Amino acid sequence: MITIISDDSRGDWGSLLEDALLPTGRQLVRFSANSLDIKPCTGCSSCSGKTYGRCVMKDDMHLVVQKIAGCQALVMLSPVVFGGVSHHIKKVMDRIAVLGDPRYRMKDGELVKGMRVPGLRYYMIGVGNKLSEAEQKAFLALHTENRKIMDVKGQAFILDSSMDKSGLEQVAKEISHE
Amino acid sequence: MNRSETMLLCASPRRKGTSAMLLERVRAITGGEVVFLPQKGSLDDLVLAMQKAETIVMSGPCYINTYPARLIELLETAAQVGGFSGQKLYGIINGGMPYMHTHQHGLSCLQLFAQQNNLSWMGGFVLGGGAMLDGQPLEKHMNHRKVVPAFDQFIRHIAQGTASTDSLYEQAQPAPGKFVTRIFANLLTFMVVKKLKNHGYDPDAPFIYTQEHN
Repeated sequence: MITIISDDSRGDWGSLLEDALLPTGRQLVRFSANSLDIKPCTGCSSCSGKTYGRCVMKDDMHLVVQKIAGCQALVMLSPVVFGGVSHHIKKVMDRIAVLGDPRYRMKDGELVKGMRVPGLRYYMIGVGNKLSEAEQKAFLALHTENRKIMDVKGQAFILDSSMDKSGLEQVAKEISHE
Repeated sequence: MNRSETMLLCASPRRKGTSAMLLERVRAITGGEVVFLPQKGSLDDLVLAMQKAETIVMSGPCYINTYPARLIELLETAAQVGGFSGQKLYGIINGGMPYMHTHQHGLSCLQLFAQQNNLSWMGGFVLGGGAMLDGQPLEKHMNHRKVVPAFDQFIRHIAQGTASTDSLYEQAQPAPGKFVTRIFANLLTFMVVKKLKNHGYDPDAPFIYTQEHN
């Protein structure tokens, strides 16, 4: 299953990606982050202690976490905002700590943690209009660091909002083939 | 707020955490007012305060490699409202991992925000191992001998209105070697497992949500 979390407040890229993935035959679930009731993470650390694996906040994130836990690929689709993702997407990202393994291990000489979702692949798609090199570099760097800290595989893609749909179809192929 | 004042913005939801402690250390030298980012409601008043400040210092925790969502929301709101005219912007980001690259994106984000909205980016400070401080003074940092003078130098930059370079925090916090990293991994995991067992959890038990899918 592929879980797509998109910020559709500035365009319909989420549904376009869904359309592009449909022919692959993969099971899809999509959430519009901007339409969900997701409160900001308070950093209480309860999910890695007192309520291990569960967030104390009662909102729509519970539904999102359930779907991510059962998927093979997680796709975050966002407008590129200051070299990162929008606050709608970031709210989801902040709260996926609940899916993290709080234990530490070493990889490539550095401390990493990991995820409690075996084999999860993590993709980020950034959409923007004539993004500067610095914005693109920052967006890709964010994905690289996310991958390291979560100890998962995956890719990041940047799409120009003025391009035709073929770029999105190529991204869909890469996501579904891995 | 007069145009000459320094606005110290704490982007952490925790009022007594490391982000607030670092900002309080800045305030002791620069003066100004520490403002806590509200976790709900309109951010318009805060944007107005940013417009009126001469210098803005943003301090926040690193959540999954950059600042928390609510600060991103503030930046997005500020960009929509506009009206900035060269305000000096400094950033501070702290996180648990001892690597600068883990948290660096927060500063890149602020720099891009400044560049796109007519503020002056003056540099920032990344503090690794910050989560372990849990709001305690910087002197309790595991690498305090190097980190304290570097951070105090960063504060002097803010006070003098001069730019700070990444090398200031990078040189003070070299990445630990493999031997130390392995000790850290074992020690931290021991503490995490002990905490989980005290709460009655088996860290190796299948994830509750994953079970629901099997």
